[in-house]
Amino acid sequence: MKKNLSVLFSLVVVLVLFVAGCTNNSPTAENSSSDENDTSNSKEEQVTINLGYYSGGKSDEKMQELIDRFMDQHPNIKITTQSAPYGQFFQKLDTQIAADEAPDVWLSDGVLVMKYAERGAVKDLTDWINRDLEKEDYYGLDFNKDADGKYWGVPQGIQIGALYYNKDHFDKAGVEYPSEDWTWEDLKEAAAKLTLDASNKKPKDEGFNSENIQQFGLTFFSITEGWFSVLKSYGGGILDDSLNQSIINTEENKQAFEWMVDGMDSGIITDPADLKSFQSPMAVFPSGSAAMRIGIYARVLAANEAGLNYDVTLLPKGPDGKRFSPVIANSWVINDSANDKKAKAAWEWVKYWATEDEVQKEWAALGEAVPVKKSVANSEIFLNSSDTPENKEAFLESFDFAGTLDTNAVWGEWVAKFNEHAQRAFLQETTIDEALENADKEVQEILDEFYNEE
Amino acid sequence: MESERINRSPTNLAAKKRSLLTYEGKWGLLLVSPYLIQFIVFVIGPLIASLYFSFSKYDMLNPPQWIGLENYEKLFNEPLFYKSLWNTLYFAILFVPTQAFFALLLAVALNQKIKALKLYRMAHFIPVISSWTVVMYVVDAIFNPRFGFANSFLIKLGLEPQRWLNDEQLVIPLLVLVAVWKGIGYMMVIYLAGLQNVPNELYEAADMDGAGTIKKFSSITLPLISPTTFLVIVLSTITTFQAFEQIYVMTGGATDITAAGGPNNASLVLMLYLYREGFSFLHMGYASAIAWILFTILFILTLLQLWGQKKWVHYQ
Repeated sequence: MKKNLSVLFSLVVVLVLFVAGCTNNSPTAENSSSDENDTSNSKEEQVTINLGYYSGGKSDEKMQELIDRFMDQHPNIKITTQSAPYGQFFQKLDTQIAADEAPDVWLSDGVLVMKYAERGAVKDLTDWINRDLEKEDYYGLDFNKDADGKYWGVPQGIQIGALYYNKDHFDKAGVEYPSEDWTWEDLKEAAAKLTLDASNKKPKDEGFNSENIQQFGLTFFSITEGWFSVLKSYGGGILDDSLNQSIINTEENKQAFEWMVDGMDSGIITDPADLKSFQSPMAVFPSGSAAMRIGIYARVLAANEAGLNYDVTLLPKGPDGKRFSPVIANSWVINDSANDKKAKAAWEWVKYWATEDEVQKEWAALGEAVPVKKSVANSEIFLNSSDTPENKEAFLESFDFAGTLDTNAVWGEWVAKFNEHAQRAFLQETTIDEALENADKEVQEILDEFYNEE
Repeated sequence: MESERINRSPTNLAAKKRSLLTYEGKWGLLLVSPYLIQFIVFVIGPLIASLYFSFSKYDMLNPPQWIGLENYEKLFNEPLFYKSLWNTLYFAILFVPTQAFFALLLAVALNQKIKALKLYRMAHFIPVISSWTVVMYVVDAIFNPRFGFANSFLIKLGLEPQRWLNDEQLVIPLLVLVAVWKGIGYMMVIYLAGLQNVPNELYEAADMDGAGTIKKFSSITLPLISPTTFLVIVLSTITTFQAFEQIYVMTGGATDITAAGGPNNASLVLMLYLYREGFSFLHMGYASAIAWILFTILFILTLLQLWGQKKWVHYQ
C-alpha cells in the first residue's frame, strides 16, 4: 500500500510541477510587488509596468532610449517591454487579452483603438485627459473620442493623408504641379497627361492600350489611401455620426464611384488588379510607376529612401468644395484590467510621451509620424526633419479638414466587406448601383450584429 | 512486492491485471504521465474548449456566451462558407491525384540505376524544404501579369496575356500546380521506400514467364505498393484540407489578411475563411464551428478511404 501511495504521490507531484510550469507566474509577481509596496509604504513605492509596442528597425532603439530616460526620471516605476512586428504584435495581443496577460499599456494602431475600447479591454481615459492635458496643445486627441464623448487613448504619433506628386514626371510631361485649389476632376485631367502605356502613348493618343500601363497618373489603394477621402469630399461616406448606421447607398457616393471607376477604366488610376503586379500596393509610387498618390505621412520614408524628386500638397476638393483628409492616430492605451497602481504608472508614461518636448522632438526626428504636440509639429524639428518633401506644412494644414476612417469596433470587418464590393465595381464586374446597394446591406448587417446585441 | 502478490488470489489478480489500478499499472501511468498530461492539457483540453466555443458567442476579449446552435445555423446559411468548402474540395480533387500520379512516376524513374541518381533525388526534394515565401517570389517571377515570363512567352506565341493568380478561373489550378511542384519530392521519397520493399524475386519470376515492363508494373509494382499509395492519398488529402500558408502567402495575405483568398474569394479555402473570421474579425465562436465542420468532413473522408482501401490495397 505504501508503495502504491508513493506512486500516486509522485504522479501528483509531476502534475503539480507541470501545471506550475504552464501557468504564468505574473499573479505571484504582482503579489510580491504589492507586498513590497505595503511594507515600504514610503514615497518610493515601486511599481513595475509592462509596455507593449509594435516596432521595426530604427525606431526600436529610440523607444528603448526614451524608456530608459523615463525610468531615470521616475525611479519608482520600472518598465518592462514586449515588442513584435506589427502583424504578430496584434495577433498575440488578442490572445493575451483573452488570457488576461496583456501589457499594462500598449501602442495601438489608430484604427484598432475602438475595437478594444468597445469590447471593454482598455481603460476610459477621459478624466485623466481632462485633468492633465491641455487639449488645445495637441493634435488628434479627438480622434480617439467615441460617439459618447469618451477618450480611449492618447496619440503617440499621427498619420494624416496628403497628395504626393512626382516632380520629375510632371516636368517631363510639361504639366503644372498640383495646386491647393484642385478638385478631383482637375486631378484626373492632369493625371491623364501623366499616364503612359507600354509604348509611351497617352490616353488621348490613338492606339493607347489601357490594359498595359507603365506609368499611372494616380495610384490608389483600399480605404485610407484610396476611396475614403474621395467619398467624403464628394459629400458621401460610410457611416453616420453614431458610427453604427451605414450611409453607403447615396447619390454622393455614386458620383464619387463614377469618378473612380472611369479613372480606372481609362488606365489613369491603378485598379485592384494592377496593384497585384507590384511587390506591394504601397510600392507603386516609390518605384516611380505613378505620378501621384494619396499617402499618409509615413510614406515619406519610402519615397525618400527611393530618392524621388517629389513634394506633397493638400488633397483635392470635391465638386462642392468639400475637402477631407484621413487620419490614423496611433495611440497609447491602458489595459482595463491593470490594477490602480499600474494604471497610474502607465498614465505617467503616456503623459511623459505627450507632454515632454524632448521626447516629442526626438521621436519627430525619426520622421515616422506627425508629432502629437502642436508646438513641436510646427517647429523646425518636424518641418525640416528631412529635405523632402519641402511642403511638410501641407500635412499640418490638412488637420483643418481631417477625420478618422469611421473607426468603430468592427472596423476591420466592414472595411473588408466594403472593399469586396468596391473591387467588383472597380473591375466592372458589377454596376456601381449594385455594388453600393449590396455593400450598404452587408455593412449594416455587420454593424447590427455587433451593436444590436450590446 | 513479494508480500503484496501473495495476498492476492489468482482470480483477483487476473481481474486486476486488466485494470490500470494494479501496482504495475500505476507505474506505467506514472511513466507515461508527462505525455499524458501534455495530451490532456494541449490536445483534449483545447478540443473540448473549441467545441464549447462553437456553441457560444466569443470574441476572445470577453468571456464566451452560450448561444446554442446559432453559429452552425449562420454557417449553413452563409454563401461564403459553401464557396470556401467548394474551393477546398476543388483544390483537393485537382491536387491529390495529380500529386500521387507524378510522385509515383518520378519515384519509378529515380528507382533505376542511373548516373547521378542522388543528385536528381536531391533536386526534386529541394522545393520541399523551401519556405513558401521564397516559392512565392519564384512564382511571381514567372506569373506576374506585368513582369513575369509566362506572359512574355504567351505574347511571343501571339496569345492573350493572362492575369494568372488574379484570375478567378486560373487561381486554384495555378496554386495546385505550385503545390504539386513543391510537395512532390516528399511523396516521391515515400514511394521510393515502397518501391524498394518490392521483392526482387517477383520481377525475376515474371521475367522467366516473359512478362513485359508494363505488365510487370501493373501486376507486381502497383499492387505491392498500394499501401504506400493509400498513405500518400490520405496524407495529401489531409494537407489540402489544412492548406493555409501557401494560399495566404501567394494571394497577398501578408499585406492584407482580408485580401488572402482572392481574387474575389476565388481561392478562399476553409482554413483561410476560419482564420479570417476568428483572428481578424474576432468571431472565435463562429470560427470554432467552422473548425468542427472541417473536422467532421475530414473524419468522414478518412473513414471512406479506410473503407475503400479494402477494395484496392493489398498488404503483403
